[in-house]
Amino acid sequence: MVQSKKGTADFDLKEAISPNRLVGLWRLMRGYQLDYTFATLMQGLSAASKTATYLLLSYFVDNYFLASTGTYPVWAIAASFVAFAGLQGYFTFLSGKHAAKTAEGTVERLRNYLFDHLQHLPFSYHAVTDTGELIQRCTSDVDALRRFYNDQAIGIGRIALLFVVNFIALLRINTRLALVSVIAVPIVVITSIYFFKKVSKAYEAYQEQDAILSTTLQENLSGVRVVKAFARQTHEIEKFEHTNWEKFKRGKQLLTIHSLFWPISDTICGFQMLAGFLIGAMMAIRGEITVGNYLAYAGLVVWIIYPLRGLGRLIVEMSNALVSYDRVFKIIKEVREPLDEGNYRPAEGLHGEIVFKHVNFEYSQHEPVLHDINFKIDAGKVVALLGSTGSGKTTLVNLLPRFYDYTSGEVLLDGFDLKCYSRRYLRSQIGIVEQEPFLFSRSIRENITYGVGRNVPLEEVEQAAKMAAVHDVILSFPEGYRTLVGERGVTLSGGQKQRVAIARTLLKNPRILILDDSTSSVDTETEAQIRSAMQSLMHDRTTFIIAHRIQSIMNADLILVMEDGHIIQHGTHTSLLREDGVYRQIYDIQTRIDTELEEELSSAS
Amino acid sequence: MPADFYEEEDFQGQFKGNVFKRILDLMRPHWRWVVGFLICVIIVSILDAYFTYLSKQIVDEGIVGKDINALQNILVKYGILIVVQAASVFGFVYMVGVLGERVRYDLRQTLFNHLQRLSLSYYSRTPVGWIMSRVTNDTERVAELVTWGVLDSTWGVINILTSVIFMLVIDWRLALIVIAILPVLFYVAVLFRQRILEQFRKVRKVNSKITASYNENISGVRVVKALGREDENLREFGEQTSAMRKAGYRAAWLSALFLPSVQIISAVGLGGIIWYSGATVGSGTFSIGSLQAFITYMTSMLWPIQDIARVFAEMQRALASAERIFSLVDTTPEIQDKPGAIDPGTIRGEIQFEHMYFWYEDELPVIKDLNLTIQRGETVALVGSTGGGKTTIVNLLCRFYEPKRGRILIGGHDYTDLSLQAIQSRIGVVLQTPHLFSGTIRENIAYGRLKASMEDIEAAAKLVGADRFIQHFEHAYDEQVGEGGVLLSVGQKQLISLARAVLSKPEIFIMDEATSSVDTLTEAMIQQGMEAIMQDRTSIIIAHRLSTIKSAHRILVIENGQIAEMGNHAELLKLKGKYYNLYTRQFRFEREDAYNIFKEDSQTNFSAE
Ligand SMILES: Nc1ncnc2c1ncn2[C@@H]1O[C@H](COP(=O)(O)OP(=O)(O)O)[C@@H](O)[C@H]1O
Ligand SMILES: Nc1ncnc2c1ncn2[C@@H]1O[C@H](COP(=O)(O)OP(=O)(O)O)[C@@H](O)[C@H]1O
Ligand SMILES: [Mg+2]
Ligand SMILES: [Mg+2]
Repeated sequence: MVQSKKGTADFDLKEAISPNRLVGLWRLMRGYQLDYTFATLMQGLSAASKTATYLLLSYFVDNYFLASTGTYPVWAIAASFVAFAGLQGYFTFLSGKHAAKTAEGTVERLRNYLFDHLQHLPFSYHAVTDTGELIQRCTSDVDALRRFYNDQAIGIGRIALLFVVNFIALLRINTRLALVSVIAVPIVVITSIYFFKKVSKAYEAYQEQDAILSTTLQENLSGVRVVKAFARQTHEIEKFEHTNWEKFKRGKQLLTIHSLFWPISDTICGFQMLAGFLIGAMMAIRGEITVGNYLAYAGLVVWIIYPLRGLGRLIVEMSNALVSYDRVFKIIKEVREPLDEGNYRPAEGLHGEIVFKHVNFEYSQHEPVLHDINFKIDAGKVVALLGSTGSGKTTLVNLLPRFYDYTSGEVLLDGFDLKCYSRRYLRSQIGIVEQEPFLFSRSIRENITYGVGRNVPLEEVEQAAKMAAVHDVILSFPEGYRTLVGERGVTLSGGQKQRVAIARTLLKNPRILILDDSTSSVDTETEAQIRSAMQSLMHDRTTFIIAHRIQSIMNADLILVMEDGHIIQHGTHTSLLREDGVYRQIYDIQTRIDTELEEELSSAS
Repeated sequence: MPADFYEEEDFQGQFKGNVFKRILDLMRPHWRWVVGFLICVIIVSILDAYFTYLSKQIVDEGIVGKDINALQNILVKYGILIVVQAASVFGFVYMVGVLGERVRYDLRQTLFNHLQRLSLSYYSRTPVGWIMSRVTNDTERVAELVTWGVLDSTWGVINILTSVIFMLVIDWRLALIVIAILPVLFYVAVLFRQRILEQFRKVRKVNSKITASYNENISGVRVVKALGREDENLREFGEQTSAMRKAGYRAAWLSALFLPSVQIISAVGLGGIIWYSGATVGSGTFSIGSLQAFITYMTSMLWPIQDIARVFAEMQRALASAERIFSLVDTTPEIQDKPGAIDPGTIRGEIQFEHMYFWYEDELPVIKDLNLTIQRGETVALVGSTGGGKTTIVNLLCRFYEPKRGRILIGGHDYTDLSLQAIQSRIGVVLQTPHLFSGTIRENIAYGRLKASMEDIEAAAKLVGADRFIQHFEHAYDEQVGEGGVLLSVGQKQLISLARAVLSKPEIFIMDEATSSVDTLTEAMIQQGMEAIMQDRTSIIIAHRLSTIKSAHRILVIENGQIAEMGNHAELLKLKGKYYNLYTRQFRFEREDAYNIFKEDSQTNFSAE
C-alpha cells in the first residue's frame, strides 16, 4: 500500500511546471518515479516472456514436426508454454500494480493540491472564474491525467519494450527479414504525429465547448427562479440547444479525424505485415530460414506491428492528457495569496486601533473604487459606513482582512502597517457578517461552528444562536440544530440565514467585527433584538457597521458617509446633523416619515 | 451533497425490460446508423478471424507445399481484404462515433427541456450538482453503451463465433478442447468483473463526494477565507481523496490481475494444443499451419472475452444511469398546465385567496387559512417578522408552488385553470435574493423583455436609479457582471434585477425586499418612478422599511402564516397592535436621541484627518 504521507503536500506542485508537458508529467510523479520505472521494466520482462514463447514454438516445430530431433518429452514443452505464460502474466500484474500505485498516488496529491490551491487563490481570481469550469478541470481533467499514468504512459513503455525485445529476436532469426519488417515504423510515427496535432486541436475545442455547456447548464439551474419568474423557458431551451448543438458539431469533427486515422494506420500496418509474410515465406521456401523460424517470425512480427498500431492510438489519446495537463496547470500556475506572509504578531493581543492614510484601491486598472480614504478609529470604538449603492463600503471593509490589498496609501492597525500582519492572523481576529451570507450543506450546528477549529459544546452554540436571535427559530425545526441546510441554504428564509451567519461570527469571538448590511433582511423588531444582543458584544471590540437605517448607526463613534469611493462626510450623528449634507438629507427622509408618524399618533390619541 | 439519498446509488444491475425497451426507443430514429455500423463491424470481425486462416494457408500451401503461385494468390487476397477491412473500420468508427454524439445530444436536450418544466419544489430538494451529473455523466454512459458497448460486444461475439467455426473446420477435435475452455474463461472473466465493479462503485461514490466538496469550497470560498477554515477543509478533503486512492488502487490492482489470470487459463489450453499436436505428429492429420492458426486463435480470443466482460460490467452501470435519466424524465412537474388550460389574454383583475393553506415538504403549515382579496390596481404591502411566510405568499401567487388546500383566483378564474405561461409571463417579480446571469448588464436587464430596444433598457435603468452607476463603468451597459453578479455590489445587483422586472411591463408587480440593500437616497430618488409603475397595476410589496410600505393602499402584517392585522398605515397605528409596536419602536428609539441633536459633541477620542 502507498504511504498516505505522500498524499499530502510534500512538495509544491509548482515545481512540476515545465514548458515541455511530458517533462511536467514526469516531475508530477515525484516520489513514484522509481515505482513507475519498475512498472515499465516489468513490461519489458513480460514482453521477453512472450517472445520466448514464440522462440519455443519455433524450436518445437523444427524439432518435432519437421524432424524428430527433440530431446525433451512433448509434455515438458507444453508445460514450458504454460510456464512462460505464467511468467508473462506475473510480470504484467506487477507492472499494472505499480502503475496503479503511481497513478492513484500522484492523482491524490494533485487533487489535494488543487483543492488547497483553490482555497488559497485570491478573491480577484475567483471573482472572474466560473465555478463550473473549475470543477470540470479538477475532476474530468484530473481523471484524464490519472488515465495517462495508469494506461497510456505505461502503454507506451510497453510498446517500446515489446518492439525492442521482439526486434532483437527477429534480428537473431534473420537480419534482412527483421529490417524489412520495420520499414513502416517511421511512416506510422509520422502519420501519428500528424494526427496527434489535429486531434489535440479538435479535442481542445471539444473540451472547451464541454465547459461552456456545463456553465450554461449550471447558470440555468442556479438561476431557475429567475427563469421561471420571467417564463423564459423557451429562451433558455434555445440557448442550451445552441451550445449543445455546437458540442455535437465539435464532437463530429473530432470523430472524423479519428475515423480517418484508424483505417489509415491499419492499412499501413497491414501491408507492412503482408510484405513481411511475403518475404519470410519466400525465404522459407528457398530454405534460407526454417519453417519453425517462419512461424516464430509470423508470431513475433504481429507483436511488432500491433503495438505499432496501438502506439498511434496511444499517441492520439495522449493528446487528451496533454490538453488536460495544460488546463490543470493553468490553475496551478496562478499565484496563491500567502496566508503567512508578514510576521508581526502583537504579544499581548490586538487592540484594534485602525488608521487609514490616503488609501486608494482599484479592482482592475483604470477603474479606481476607493480614493484617498483617511480616518482613524480608536480600539473598541464603532465606525459606521453609510453611502450610496456601489460607493465602496464593502470594498473598504474587505481591505481589513486583506481579501484585497490596497493599491496605495497605508492602513495601520495598532500602529503597524496591515501588511506586517499575516493574513491568517488578521482573519482569525476579524469577524465578518457578509451581506449575502453563504451557508454550507451541513447541519445548522456545523454551520455555526464552522469558523472555530475546536469542538464546541452545544451550550456555547446555543448561546451564540440566542444572541443572534435565531435560537427559537432553530428549535422550531423538527430536527433542531441538526437540521440540514440545503444547497445554499434554500430552506431558510433570508433573515434566518443572516442570523445564522451572525451566530457563526459571534462564536468566533473576533477582536474586530464587521457587519456588512447584515440586518437588511431582518425586520425592525428582530433587528432591535439583535442590536441589544450585539451591544454587549461590540463593547470593547472595534466594529464596522454598514447599514442604511440611521437608527442602526446613530450610536457609532464615527460615521463615514461615502460617495463614489470618497469619504464625503465624517463625524458623529450629532455633528453630522449640524452639517448641511448627505447625512442630513438621509436623516430627513427617514425622519420625515417618523415625524408624520408622530403627528398621526398624536392625532390618533 | 446533503443527504445520502443523493449519493451515486447503483441499481444492482437487475434487468428491467422496461429500461431496455426505452433505451432501444432512443435508438429507433437512428436505426439506419445502427444497421450501418453493425454491418461494418461484422465485416471487420469476420475478416479478423479469416486473416488467421489465411496465415495458416500461407504456411501449409505456400511454404510447406513450396508453391509460389498459391502464395501469391493468398497474399493478393490478403491485401484486398486489408483494404476492405480498413474501409469498414472507417465506416464503423465514423458511424458509431457520430451516432454516439447524436445520442448524447438528444439525451441532454431531452433532460434539459424537461428540467425547464419541473417545479421549484424539485429544485429546492435536489442539489444542483446532482442534476448536473445526470445531464453530463449519465448521458455519457448511456450513449457509450448504445454505441461502443454494442459495437464491442458484437465484434467480440462474432469474432469468437467465426474463430470457432474456422477451428472446427481445421481440426474439430482440437477445437473441442478450446471450446471446453471458453466457458471457464467467461466464468472467470465475469467473476473478476463483478469484484472490479464493486470497487468502481466505491470509487464513484467517493468521487461524487469529492466533486461536491470542490463545488462547495469554491462557491463558499469567501466564507472559507473569512473564517480561516483552509486547514480543516483540506484535512476533511484529504480523507476523501485518500479513500478514493484506496478504492481506485484496489480496482486497478484487480484489473491488473484480471488479464494475466485469463491469459494463464488460456495458456493451459495452448499447452493442450501443443501436447496434442506433438502426440499426433506421426499421423499427419495436424499441419504446422494449423498449429499456428490454433495458437493465434487461442491467444487472440482473449480480447473479445475481455471486451465482452467489460461491456457487461459497464452495462450494469449504464443501466443504472439510464434508470436515473428516465426517472428524471418521468418526474412529473408538481405544477403544470391542466389539460385545456386557458390563456385569458390578460391577468389584470381581482386576486383572491380563499381559505388557502400551504406547507413545504415537512407538512408544518406555513400559511394557514389565508383569506384575502386584492383589488385590481391596488398596492398591498406585506410586513412582519422574518420567517412569517411573506416570501411564501409571493411564491404561491407566482405559482411557483400551489396551495395545498383552498384556492387562488385571478380575475375570477381559479389560477390552476390558467396556463403557467399566461400567469408567469405577466407577473414581474423582484426576488429576495437577486440573481444575475453571467454576461453584460444589458443582457441581464433585457432578460425582462428579450426584444427590448436599447432606449427601453436605459429608460428602465434610469427609472430604478441604476443608470448613474452603470454610466460610471468603463464599458457602461456592456460591463460584465461576473458569475451570479459577483463583480457588482449587492445593492447594484438589486437595482439591476429591479430594472429587469420593470422592463417586462408586468400586469402584476411584486417586490420581495427588493431594495433592502439600496441606500436611502437612491430609494427616495426612485420612489416617484416606482409609484408611477405601481399606479396602474396590482402590486405587492414586501419590505421592512417604513418608507417603502407607508404609501401602500393596504398593509398586511403577516405573523406565523396568518394575517395578524390589516388596514392602511393610519388605521393600523390606531389599532396600537403589532404594526404599532413594530414601527413605533424605531420611532421612539430615535426620538430620544432627536432631542439631543444639538447637544455639544463630547466625544473627542476619534478624529478624521
Ligand atoms: N470583485 C469585484 N471586481 C470588480 N469590481 C467590483 C468588485 N466588487 C465590487 N466592484 C465594484 O466596486 C464598486 C464598489 O462596490 P461595493 O464596495 O460592493 O459597494 P457598496 O458600497 O454597495 O458595498 C462597485 O461599482 C462595484 O461594481
Ligand atoms: N423551500 C422551502 N422549503 C421548506 N421550508 C421553507 C422553504 N422556504 C421557506 N421555508 C420555511 O417557511 C417559513 C416561511 O418562510 P418565508 O416565506 O421565506 O418567510 P419570510 O419571507 O416572511 O421571511 C420559514 O420558516 C422557512 O424556514
Ligand atoms: Mg456592499
Ligand atoms: Mg422573505
